[in-house]
Amino acid sequence: MNINELMNSKVESTSPDATTKEAARQMHDIHVGCLTVMDDDKLVGIVTDRDICCKVTATGRVAGFTKVNEIMSTEVITCHEKQSINLAADTMMKHHIRRIAVVNDENNISGFLSVDDLARASYELASNVLESTTSYH
Amino acid sequence: MKVKDIMSTKIEVLLPHYSLRTAARKMKEFNLGSMPVVENGNLLGIITDRDISIFAIAMGYGSESTEVQKVMSKEVYTCQFDQDLSDAAHIMEQQHIRRLAVLDEDNCLEGLLSVDDIARVSCDLAGAVLLAATPNH
Repeated sequence: MNINELMNSKVESTSPDATTKEAARQMHDIHVGCLTVMDDDKLVGIVTDRDICCKVTATGRVAGFTKVNEIMSTEVITCHEKQSINLAADTMMKHHIRRIAVVNDENNISGFLSVDDLARASYELASNVLESTTSYH
Repeated sequence: MKVKDIMSTKIEVLLPHYSLRTAARKMKEFNLGSMPVVENGNLLGIITDRDISIFAIAMGYGSESTEVQKVMSKEVYTCQFDQDLSDAAHIMEQQHIRRLAVLDEDNCLEGLLSVDDIARVSCDLAGAVLLAATPNH
């Protein structure tokens, strides 16, 4: 099965100059834990709810004064939408992550594949990915 | 297989009056995504990194001025430490959740069981829990 058959195509983005407060509100309103960070049309990073928890809330920074570009991850791990879900799972295991960004032929982010999505196709792949990630309780 | 065979017993807890900032620091330090909130041995609720970051910021709650008990979820699902693992997985499926607090015969918090723990021993049980869980994009 290819990744594009299983991935979530909802890709929401923010900008590097947005505040983390704006990003948090956006994540809350649309029920996601992850936003791509776009500078015009260029992907410059990814910001997650975990980034906000660990780099803003935990450190006492003020969300309204902290910019997304101060906390985002600039190294975005991706796979191509026409690749197999097995390859996606391998990549997720290698990097110990539960969701991966998916790119299309134009190298734009076309979706995200999470361990939840994997479970719809293969309990085994999903479980292997879960096992490899840092354990959250 | 019983819950006690695979649950996590090394549990970090929060007190209800802790600030969100303290909670976030502990989640960062112990690499956790959720923590139980306990007082005098009683399990009061559970709070996640997403609650602390996204929900709290979206609601305008200050991280140092807001207590954990204001943001935690008071609805905590539990199982018994000597229950069959499949029963515990079934509870998670029914409630669309990924973790349970584990109690002993005196209803004291004994451990935590998450879908990650289940994945180590059963792909089928873990996969079914993931499929039923409220999406976590």
